[in-house]
Amino acid sequence: NNTIKTSKYNAFNFLPLNLFEQFQRLANAYFLILLFLQLIPQISSLPWYTTVIPLVVVLSITGVKDAIDDMKRHQNDNQVNNRSVLRLVKGRMEEDKWMNVQVGDIIKLENDQPVTVSTLGCGFFLVAWVGTRDSDSASAAVLVKQAITCTSDMKDNLDLLSAFDGEVSCELPNNKLHRFTGILSYKGKDYFLDHDKLLLRGCVIRNTDWCYGLVIYTGPDTKLMQNSGKYTFKQTHVDRLMNILVLWIFLFLIVMCLMLAIGHGIWENKIGYYFQIFLPWENYVSSSFVSSLFIFWSYFIVLNTMVPISLYVSVELIRLGNSYYINWDQKMFYAPKNTPAQARTTTLNEELGQVKYVFSDKTGTLTQNIMIFHKCSINGTLYGDVIDKTGEKVAVSEKDKIDFAYNKLADPKFSFYDKTLVEAVTKGDPWVHLFFLSLSLCHTVMSEEKVEGELVYQAQSPDEGALVTAARNFGFVFRSRTSETITVVEMGETRVYQLLAILDFNNVRKRMSVIVRTPENRVMLFCKGADTIICELLHPACISLCDVTLEHLDDFASEGLRTLMVAYRELDNKFFRTWSVKHGEACLSLDNREKKLSIVYEEVEKDLMLLGATAIEDKLQDGVPETVMTLSKAKIKIWVLTGDKQETAVNIAYSCNIFEDEMDEVFTVKGKDSETVRQELRKARSKMKPDSLLDSDPVNIFLAKKHKALFTMPEEVPNGSYGLVINGYSLAHALEGDVELELLRVACMCKGVICCRMTPLQKAQVVELVKRYKKVVTLAIGDGANDVSMIKAAHIGVGISGQEGMQAMLNSDFAFSQFYYLQRLILVHGRWSYNRMCKFLSYFFYKNFAFTLVHFWYAFFNGFSAQTVYDNWFITCYNLIYTSLPVLGMSLFDQDVNDTWSLCFPELYEPGQLNLYFNKKEFMKCLIHGIYSSLVLFFIPMGAVYNSERSDGKEISDYQSFSLIVQTSLIWVVTTQIALKITYWTVISHFFIWGSLGIYFCLLFLLYSDGLCQMFPNVFQFPGVARNTLNQPQMWLSIVLIVVLCMLPVIGYQFLKPLFWPVSVDKILKRIHYCMKHPLPPPIRPRRRRPGLRRSAYAFSHQHGFGALITSGKTVKSKALKKNSFPAKK
Amino acid sequence: MERRSRLQLSRLPDITAMKQQQLPAYQLHFSATMVFSIFFASGVFCLFMGIFLILSAKSIQKVEINYTKTCGNCAKLREDAFNHNKICTCSIPFVLAKSMEGNVFMYYKLYGFYQNLYRYILSRSNSQLLSKDLKAVEDCAPFKVSHKEIPFAPCGAIANSMFNDTIILSYNLNSSIHIQVPMLKTGITWWTDKYVKFKNPGANNLTDKFAGTTKPPYWPKPIYELDPDDPENNGFLNDDFIVWMRTAAFPTFKKLYRRLHRIHYFIEGLPAGNYSFNITYNFPVTKFQGEKSVVLSTLTWSGGSSLFLGLAYTVTGAMTWLASFAMLAIHFMLKQRKASTSKWQSKALKGQSRK
Repeated sequence: NNTIKTSKYNAFNFLPLNLFEQFQRLANAYFLILLFLQLIPQISSLPWYTTVIPLVVVLSITGVKDAIDDMKRHQNDNQVNNRSVLRLVKGRMEEDKWMNVQVGDIIKLENDQPVTVSTLGCGFFLVAWVGTRDSDSASAAVLVKQAITCTSDMKDNLDLLSAFDGEVSCELPNNKLHRFTGILSYKGKDYFLDHDKLLLRGCVIRNTDWCYGLVIYTGPDTKLMQNSGKYTFKQTHVDRLMNILVLWIFLFLIVMCLMLAIGHGIWENKIGYYFQIFLPWENYVSSSFVSSLFIFWSYFIVLNTMVPISLYVSVELIRLGNSYYINWDQKMFYAPKNTPAQARTTTLNEELGQVKYVFSDKTGTLTQNIMIFHKCSINGTLYGDVIDKTGEKVAVSEKDKIDFAYNKLADPKFSFYDKTLVEAVTKGDPWVHLFFLSLSLCHTVMSEEKVEGELVYQAQSPDEGALVTAARNFGFVFRSRTSETITVVEMGETRVYQLLAILDFNNVRKRMSVIVRTPENRVMLFCKGADTIICELLHPACISLCDVTLEHLDDFASEGLRTLMVAYRELDNKFFRTWSVKHGEACLSLDNREKKLSIVYEEVEKDLMLLGATAIEDKLQDGVPETVMTLSKAKIKIWVLTGDKQETAVNIAYSCNIFEDEMDEVFTVKGKDSETVRQELRKARSKMKPDSLLDSDPVNIFLAKKHKALFTMPEEVPNGSYGLVINGYSLAHALEGDVELELLRVACMCKGVICCRMTPLQKAQVVELVKRYKKVVTLAIGDGANDVSMIKAAHIGVGISGQEGMQAMLNSDFAFSQFYYLQRLILVHGRWSYNRMCKFLSYFFYKNFAFTLVHFWYAFFNGFSAQTVYDNWFITCYNLIYTSLPVLGMSLFDQDVNDTWSLCFPELYEPGQLNLYFNKKEFMKCLIHGIYSSLVLFFIPMGAVYNSERSDGKEISDYQSFSLIVQTSLIWVVTTQIALKITYWTVISHFFIWGSLGIYFCLLFLLYSDGLCQMFPNVFQFPGVARNTLNQPQMWLSIVLIVVLCMLPVIGYQFLKPLFWPVSVDKILKRIHYCMKHPLPPPIRPRRRRPGLRRSAYAFSHQHGFGALITSGKTVKSKALKKNSFPAKK
Repeated sequence: MERRSRLQLSRLPDITAMKQQQLPAYQLHFSATMVFSIFFASGVFCLFMGIFLILSAKSIQKVEINYTKTCGNCAKLREDAFNHNKICTCSIPFVLAKSMEGNVFMYYKLYGFYQNLYRYILSRSNSQLLSKDLKAVEDCAPFKVSHKEIPFAPCGAIANSMFNDTIILSYNLNSSIHIQVPMLKTGITWWTDKYVKFKNPGANNLTDKFAGTTKPPYWPKPIYELDPDDPENNGFLNDDFIVWMRTAAFPTFKKLYRRLHRIHYFIEGLPAGNYSFNITYNFPVTKFQGEKSVVLSTLTWSGGSSLFLGLAYTVTGAMTWLASFAMLAIHFMLKQRKASTSKWQSKALKGQSRK
């Protein structure tokens, strides 16, 4: 059955299951054990409710959060499961819910309908080609799926379909998207099935009116679900640090308990033994040693608040809050697509403030994957720049756009600014006409015309689409094709060209050609391809033209445009006929077909006449270069991991500032075996840091020592700025054995790294490599399914949403729709989250130390008898009520500098990367601070009340008054402490801080009220203490003194720290504070990039085109049958 | 058109200051001036406060007489539990050189008596003391019931260990005339203790009301016979009992015993002269190496005689001033160094340019 279940709980198992999960967390389990300890009367030193109430609150907050999460999952599941589908039942199509679909069912899929089962597109479909906009390819391109012939003959004959009794045997469900093998046995024959025949869950059917499919895998067995895998729980560095610290605290706790137990033993021996007249030992205590054994556990209970119970739940709440800020951020909302940023994981926020490496996909992430026909050179004339009278280039604006009104079939979205080209077309320049004609003929684009005059092109590579669209707008409209014809509307006149052959593109040839017979019965070959290739195939007559065109190509390249050369050749009929025979033979040959074909192709693709060149802009996403600059100022290294070709990748790297022209050198690694790769890497390293090859280099010594163990690679500083380009083949070798260390050392010294031709797995491997050897936070950003592995591997995965493919987004931790939001995510939200989390942690640990350690000092005065200093109710409420809101307020609202400044000074980001704000050292500072505070908190009140009395002679040195003084002082101290920590005082901070103090005093009077005491005399034992003590001068004098003593050192330390141990950030902060008093932030000056000379990439998709399919003739039937398709003319 | 665009932006986040993290706020930043003013101000405050507190603490007059050793024979007698019926008195004469003016309070003070032990503090029954249920003795271990299983009233270790010496102060006008200094035994407890925390089972005929309970083992008399002179001062509402039941925070503590009734000779306080304490010695302390003394004291606005707060304030103030001067010095030194380096740099630059 096809039910998808991603939810964890239902109404019945929620409570037990959720509780079980929660108690698997160490902290919760610890408090549960503590609770049991408290129930043992012999060692219980605190009543049960001091632990139970906080624990219940903590568990219920987490429980509610989990329940809400699960509810959302239930909703999603329901939505998917209840989608309707047409299912073949007893010879009729019936509408049913997706969840009822079962393996073996035959279902009908319609155009633009998402598939939610793996269907064997064993498709009884007649449509010749099923394009699936598969989520799998980076470019969200159309993939071709075909049904096997035996079933496609059934057409949509329901009787035949119901009678279908074939048997499919196939492999077990697995997660390999590109592989499927199976055998269909039908009518005694076996048919081989491969992944071309399979429609995967998650894809959308395009360009196909309908198709029937046999359900092969359902629900969790589908490849998509198998692929999405279980969500791997990502833990942040702070999480890990927190766990270690909790362990430290625990050990510290044990040591303290031991010390106190020993102290108790000695005391019982010396004093307690004699004090037995007034307090005899319990009958189970035979000696002071036994007594101290019990006391150990009693103190374990008393001091349990050292490990803060609400730490984890507070951390979760803070992260949740900070994630909501990301969702709410209006500056990360992309209006054109109506997509806000989305924090899909709410547990990684502060890690965003520590990112050191960004791994980015190229297509769809850095670039928009929109190709725009930008310029062209036709017969030696350059078109595309708008030039004013003086010959200077003019910046174009939207209103200068050329109006293609004369062409009814023009694409309204196309924009071009140079009027001279239009004039040339309308004047009827034959070269220009031929140029555009060749563009409209030489391609493998499919056209769709649902409404008369509204053409939609389906291109496998967006480059081709751009070229054909350009030709269309200039008046050479490619309208439709069949396997044998191409219909072109030439300047309003419909002409049908006979398609004789498609010489398809491949990676070696780097060109494609078509041979057509014109209506005038001329045989023409049109070719387009990479300049380096075409130049060699040109007829000697056009050498001078070639030189001019190459000059133009250099111009294009310097602007980062993708270029192609276009040429043609007229063939005489006889030559073509003989060639055609050869071609036919080569096509039919069984072995070495590819090679034979390319030889045949070469015979005809020569003596070409150059027409010109095209320049296509691979449009970067908005703000990409600026973002990259800002990020690199924040010392974040950006690596581009792309499946694309080297030329394109490098090109994009330059245009988005990852590589700069001023760089000392860009190394290219292209070795084909591991030894060459190693040599190349070593050579690069010797250039970057010559010393690093010596044995005396500290890193080498370090590596020699720590052989093969897991270790952290030290940071190395190169002597300049370098770049590295490495492609997939070399990378495969570089990731082997110890070459990977070599790679890592070289790559980490480079300013930018480009890895091209990567498989998804390799992307993940590179991320893993950095993760393994560098103790840094990595972030991967991508948009396609091929980025999923890398997104999952990195500490933080960011998905670019809004494109067709949802896979990356579904697996990401954060999702938004523009690359440039990354800087806001990292530099603003990440930084704030990190700062807040660090402030929170250091304060939280401090407040619990100051709170708990007072018991330790008191032990020396009460015979180590596990007597607490505070009232039990205070212990219960301290973390939960009295001190929770201010710290939550701080960690939700505090900001040291606002977002504008954070973006103005990316250098502010550095402390996060170096983990400066909260680490073990900071923790020790908290501990020392806590110890100091607890000393002050204990001894000042003690001195104040010791042997003292009230001004009316009555009691003040009693235990209950002393408790009250200490706990009130504690509240004042921790509150002033947080008031000092907060740098951003909003109304809410005021409300929380003063509110907490108010609540403390209100609750004090409530808990110590006469009524409660008379109702429950044994639970509320402190009646009247508040009234009798709060009006005493000793009380307030001690509070003031304690606050002064606790605060002044902190203020002094904060003042002296930047003077004695200055950090780079201090200077910037100082500058910001200066600027804030004298407003106007310095404007961010975008640096003008000086275009350098680089040979640019040719534009082509690196996959095979549709050529074979088009010529195979499969399209004929469909086009003929399609009602609203453009009538084919023969 | 407008509606359409609104529809398209259906997921636009709310633009509120809170959600966009742009709440108006005051940015707290400690400038150098602020830090120094805080330091100097608190220094001045602490010094002033400290000196004031010391001066007022010095105005207190106090007499403390430790009678553990002085009444050595009684102490020895009490070490043996079998002598509990024998009465032992002891008189301690002393000279008051200067008259104690104003209200004078008499305390007993115990050294090394741990009223703050965990099990000791717990060992009381608040329900019983409120007379809600006289037999509620669950919390009173180890003094819950007598060996005849009769619940103690009051039960528990605190009540059982109640201080039971009688101290009478006499003023010796001359060798023959001894005037007993009039002392009040009321108004020595917190109001809340007397009227909220403690209640008798009934107003009169306490003997009947306490039927079914027995006196704690160390007590010579049952709870309803604590004060033979004043029937109101009996049962749980006995002032001495209430004072004792408010357990002390530290092992050395002082508890209010009597206050001077300012009449006749003593209208101004205690005049200078010869006095003596007549003590009925009942409470054993030597067994656990404790000591006891009796204290006469006057008070000021800040209460008792402790010099601690005054000293702590003075020391804090002094330290703060020292620290502020040190910080000021550091601050200016660094500023000067910075200025000089920048001057040096600019000079160096000039030199270069001259070349």
